[in-house]
Amino acid sequence: MTLTDLLLQQTINGLSLGAMYALLALGFTLVYGILELINFSHFNVFMVGSFIAMGVLQMFGLTGQDVILTGLPLVMVLLVTFAVTMVASGLIGVAIERLCLRPLRNVKGPAAMITTIGVSYILFNIILLSVGAEARNYPNPMPNVRLHINGAVLDIRVLLIWGVALVLMAGLYVFVQKSRLGKAMRATAQDAEAARMMGVDVDKVVVMAFFLGSALAGAGGLIFGLYYNFTSFIIGFTAGLRAFTAAVLGGIGNVPGAMVGGLIIGLIEALGGQIAGAWTDVIIFSILVLVLVFKPSGLFGRVAPNKS
Amino acid sequence: MITRRAAARLVAGTALTAAFASGSTPGWAADKVVKVGIDLSLTGADAESAMRVKNGIVMAIDAANQGNAVPGYTFDLMTLDDGTATAGQYDPAQAATNARKMVSDHDVVAAIGPEMSGAGKAMAPILSQGDLATITPSSTNPDITNPKFAEQYRPAGKPIYFRTVTTDAFQGPNMANFMAEKLGIKSVYVLDDSGAYGVGLADAFQAQVEKKGVKVLGRDRLDPKAADYSAVLTKIKSLNPQALYYGGVGQAGIKLAKQAYDILPTVIKAGGDGVYGATFLSGTGFPAAEGWYSTIASPHLTGDTKAAEFVKAYSGRFGVSPEDYSITAYDAALVIIDAVKRVAATGKPVTRSAVRDAIQTAKVPTIQGTVSFDANGDLADRTVSVFQIKQDKASKPDDVSAQFHYIDVAPQA
Repeated sequence: MTLTDLLLQQTINGLSLGAMYALLALGFTLVYGILELINFSHFNVFMVGSFIAMGVLQMFGLTGQDVILTGLPLVMVLLVTFAVTMVASGLIGVAIERLCLRPLRNVKGPAAMITTIGVSYILFNIILLSVGAEARNYPNPMPNVRLHINGAVLDIRVLLIWGVALVLMAGLYVFVQKSRLGKAMRATAQDAEAARMMGVDVDKVVVMAFFLGSALAGAGGLIFGLYYNFTSFIIGFTAGLRAFTAAVLGGIGNVPGAMVGGLIIGLIEALGGQIAGAWTDVIIFSILVLVLVFKPSGLFGRVAPNKS
Repeated sequence: MITRRAAARLVAGTALTAAFASGSTPGWAADKVVKVGIDLSLTGADAESAMRVKNGIVMAIDAANQGNAVPGYTFDLMTLDDGTATAGQYDPAQAATNARKMVSDHDVVAAIGPEMSGAGKAMAPILSQGDLATITPSSTNPDITNPKFAEQYRPAGKPIYFRTVTTDAFQGPNMANFMAEKLGIKSVYVLDDSGAYGVGLADAFQAQVEKKGVKVLGRDRLDPKAADYSAVLTKIKSLNPQALYYGGVGQAGIKLAKQAYDILPTVIKAGGDGVYGATFLSGTGFPAAEGWYSTIASPHLTGDTKAAEFVKAYSGRFGVSPEDYSITAYDAALVIIDAVKRVAATGKPVTRSAVRDAIQTAKVPTIQGTVSFDANGDLADRTVSVFQIKQDKASKPDDVSAQFHYIDVAPQA
């Protein structure tokens, strides 16, 4: 492997990680933009999503990586799995909002944020106790095709991650910018009170933000399983903290910021792993601290300007 | 070596277990109850193997109670879990809490465990202060019993940490010999999982493999909670080593094996007893697990004809196949039962310190042969066995005895 191959390979690794972090970061950002609430239960909605998807794949009769599908069956299985997982995860998000956060909507201070930490641990322990603690071998019907670019290898699963992440993020962006509900979301983010006076149903907007964010987290959970061929009850925290860092780096509340932040964190993790080894986490979380100290609005600026 | 009579007794014991398995009265009402503490990592990444270890202990204790092995005494188990959800595997802080719990219960006269060296390092000083002996069926970090660290791990002086397996002072170096001599590797990259066991094992391996003239191309540490090791594996790929050695347990090991399968398909991969067992098989799955070498710090027991009865009784009762460390755990329980018996036979009260002294002088016929300990509590037998995973498609993917193929005893360092 030449140095260029090595850099290319680490860039591919980093962009795959980054796409996953970006999907997760979007959920933080959507909710924060509207409620100014850091939703820590998001970590584990991602984790639960990966288990839901695993259940769906198992219903198709898939267990490990022995059954390989191609062509139309593969597309159908993946489409159904993505759809079911995203809807189910989205509904979990809605339930969390309705049951645990709406009663606290007008409570000042960190009560709501602390509640999300509690919810996060509840999800974490539900999976731990019901599914068990071992890392689970993930059903994966994707063919193990590898494209060689000089000395670097591009796995077909990486293309799937990029493709799905791109489609979902573009869809979200168009939805927020163009649709009626998207406009209502942006209006609520700017000033909830004024939006309400203009006839925006703020409750509906909040529910939508939770649904979309959690659905993206669920998709992220499925992608995680397909990429790494395993899932475990513990995956939410490490991925979630990095995604949170990505959201802060891009400017929390800012949708394109979350995407770019995710990619940057992914690249840092891959290239840092090459140079700094186990010290990479120190680098990533130093970024979190530095951004919060020197540029709290992040690279792309914080949304929700009228609230403070 | 196991004698014919001892073997017959073992078999009789297991047969009794089977015969009385459904609802019998263990012992007499007048019996004194002595408790044996158990500390294993029943939650987290190593849960599957921990359960199989625990089953081995339960078999020995049940057989002793039903066969009235120590007249006038009934054994009871205090089972504690040192795995926590936040750690996702063994948690040294929880292990310390468990050690305190055992020490504070005066009916506990001896303990079995822990499974993991990181837990052992936390427990040993507390057990030492409480004068409570434990026998570990699987933790292999040599520091805990090394007299050099006596002040740290046995501050009260007497050895209290006994083992029915040998240590990484042999497991790592013997595997280094095996890889250099039998596999003929010339270069290797070494990884560990940053735990007490993993770092110690990788260090011991690295020192010996360098002595053997194998080039160590680098050494890195994996964060067991991280999901992605592709960065470090890509770096390893660019250095093009012939082999990869991993010191550590399942949590990082499973993810490492999956990703190494993709990134380093042609590299020889090996590890210690942390990548041996059902947890590693079911988590990694095939084809990623294929070809991995692993070692255990004991002779290979489950395939041994002497263990056949045990394996049969165990599989029949629990519905899963035992691992070699199920047997070392069973043997550990036999040593404790024997110690209690010898103390009781003298007519003196069965106290912790009397049981500890009896364990120190044990010469107990067990499935792995006669168990006796050196002055520090280490097992006299220093056999390290080497395995390789080769998929047996006819068997269940997590069937340890079908998927791990025994190769040989590793050459002594």
